[in-house]
Amino acid sequence: MQNEPVDVLIIGAGASGAATAWSLLETRMRILCLEQGPHLEDKDYPSRDDGYELARYGNFSCDPNVRGLKQDYPINADDSCITPVNFNAVGGSTINFLGHWPRMKPSDFRTLSLDGVGADWPLDYDTLAPFYDMNDRNTGVSGLGGNPAYPDYAPELPPIPIGKLGQTLAKGFNAKGYHWWPSDVSILSQDHDGRHKCVNAGTCDLGCAAGAKGGTNFTYWPMLENAGVELRSECRVREILVDQLTGFATGVLYHGADGQLHEQKAELVVVACNGVGTPRLLLNSKSKAFPDGLANRNGMVGKNLMFHPLTGVTGVFGEPMLGHEGPMACSILSQEFYETDSTRDFVRGYGLHSGRSTTPMTFALGGYGIDSPIPWGAEHRETMDNVYPYLAGLTVVSEDLPEEQNCVTLDPDMTDSDGIPAPKITYRLGENTRKMLRHGEERAKEILLAAGAKKVLSKADDKVWWRAGWHQMGTCRMGDDPTTSVVNGWGRSHDVKNLFIVDGSIFPTAGAVNPTSTIQAMSLYIGDRIKTNIETLFE
Amino acid sequence: MWTQTQRTLLDTILDELVPPSNDGTIPGAGSLGVADFLPTADAYAPNPVEATQAVMTALGDSFVELTRPEKVAALHLIETQQPDAFATLVRLTYMGYYSRPDTRPLFGVGAHPVHPQGYPVPREDEALMDELTAPVRARGKVYRDAK
Repeated sequence: MQNEPVDVLIIGAGASGAATAWSLLETRMRILCLEQGPHLEDKDYPSRDDGYELARYGNFSCDPNVRGLKQDYPINADDSCITPVNFNAVGGSTINFLGHWPRMKPSDFRTLSLDGVGADWPLDYDTLAPFYDMNDRNTGVSGLGGNPAYPDYAPELPPIPIGKLGQTLAKGFNAKGYHWWPSDVSILSQDHDGRHKCVNAGTCDLGCAAGAKGGTNFTYWPMLENAGVELRSECRVREILVDQLTGFATGVLYHGADGQLHEQKAELVVVACNGVGTPRLLLNSKSKAFPDGLANRNGMVGKNLMFHPLTGVTGVFGEPMLGHEGPMACSILSQEFYETDSTRDFVRGYGLHSGRSTTPMTFALGGYGIDSPIPWGAEHRETMDNVYPYLAGLTVVSEDLPEEQNCVTLDPDMTDSDGIPAPKITYRLGENTRKMLRHGEERAKEILLAAGAKKVLSKADDKVWWRAGWHQMGTCRMGDDPTTSVVNGWGRSHDVKNLFIVDGSIFPTAGAVNPTSTIQAMSLYIGDRIKTNIETLFE
Repeated sequence: MWTQTQRTLLDTILDELVPPSNDGTIPGAGSLGVADFLPTADAYAPNPVEATQAVMTALGDSFVELTRPEKVAALHLIETQQPDAFATLVRLTYMGYYSRPDTRPLFGVGAHPVHPQGYPVPREDEALMDELTAPVRARGKVYRDAK
């Protein structure tokens, strides 16, 4: 079944697809976005239900293998210590992300030059800064200006409350003489732009029923649909089609909401499926011209997968910390150990995030993203009554370095509900990361004790959090050298001149911050480059 | 779903997995009725009834007659012998227990659905934030230039 051709076809309605569409609006090109998930309605948000926590283990799990919904694709992570997590709906993973909004830093774009590891980006912080600002205005960002860990900028809205937990930990950082700062968040601290402020529900992972969190279902998509961008939900792209003579992308084949296979032609194809979905789609788009997958003549598609490996340390304090009140992951952030320090046994660094603690069921089941229930019996009673209410913790969020053997390939057997091969993750923790996490755990213990913790709880093993694969980067890296990168410095495929990639897969390095702010800034930057180069776009 | 005999056994097991507080102010999972949740939990575990029945069968009806230490010892034995079924029962017991609105306030969490009401958390006033951040600001820049 064929459809009317469009100028721009965007695959994926999450963070990057939405921002790219917004950037291209002014071109007056006909823009179509295909999204494999549905539009969520207000009734779909579980936080309006009495038993809201249960959804975390069912149809609102962050893990597609747990959700197993029609729009989800399974992921084989048997050969990985971290499993990717996501959400498939209009808004993508900004539906269930936690809204933490730190920017990358100037050194993140120059790790090879500065530290001899990773790769330099083809652009720098200063180039991206105006696009960070532009995206922040579109999204609504709360925070405190003057953070000494960044070149000067100021969030538009005042910070969200850091709460008793954040105030307590801040005193611990101050006692140690370490940096910390109220978290920048894409969560509204006051009513803004027709949206309501955060109600401190503490369940950001279950979607924000208040609309206060900066999911693109609340930020970009209402603007885009009003402006005439066509969004077809429940449409899963099977493969990107290519003209075998010219090597240009001609459009896609997709499974529509009607259950039929459709062909959609387009002049320009933008892939916005993030660090696992994008290489999966390219590897599934095989043809005579691209027998190993689209845009993959150099074999780099799927390689250099990076996450942000995490571990956590928790302190037990003398009074209730009320950690379930307030945005789930965001209170304060320390970047004391972010930059390389030659006196340490690792390069690059990590952040110490003070998330809030969680609700009783999730704590009893091991914590968010962890399947390790606390003991049953008398010890259970003791833990829930005398430990749980008094917790405040720090999460060590480490920078991952690109390694080719960490990769996304296609699983030979597993498929989604449309029979499309599923991704397979091969990933191991690098030694540099292990050292970094150990260092972070030790510092976190010191800080918690300095903050007044009566005792510190830490794990007996060195395992990282299993469901920590929120941030999926590097698998279609950008670069100036076509032999070592998949796209150029503004997201255009080296092999296919009318194919662009705009998501986290193009990151050459990962930094140690939540990437969505940077993903969207990059999308706006790429949109700007497309507009600037429109006359010679395909040369 | 459960016969009277099964229900008595299951409530006894559940009251050991999540026991009541010593002062009786916090009920155990059995007396709170978590047994009713288990047959409805197939969205959270495959075959929840099968797992529950496996544990019940292994313990036998005489479990209810045991002393507390004997019950705990019997449960530890089954945990070793049937780890998958036991782990499923424990996990579902926690889900059934803590998903109840009447349970959450016992741990300082609101009974209400978190939307639309949420929680009233006041933003720190500027003076407090200035005081807290003063040492950080005093240290100055903590990032590297990349030029």
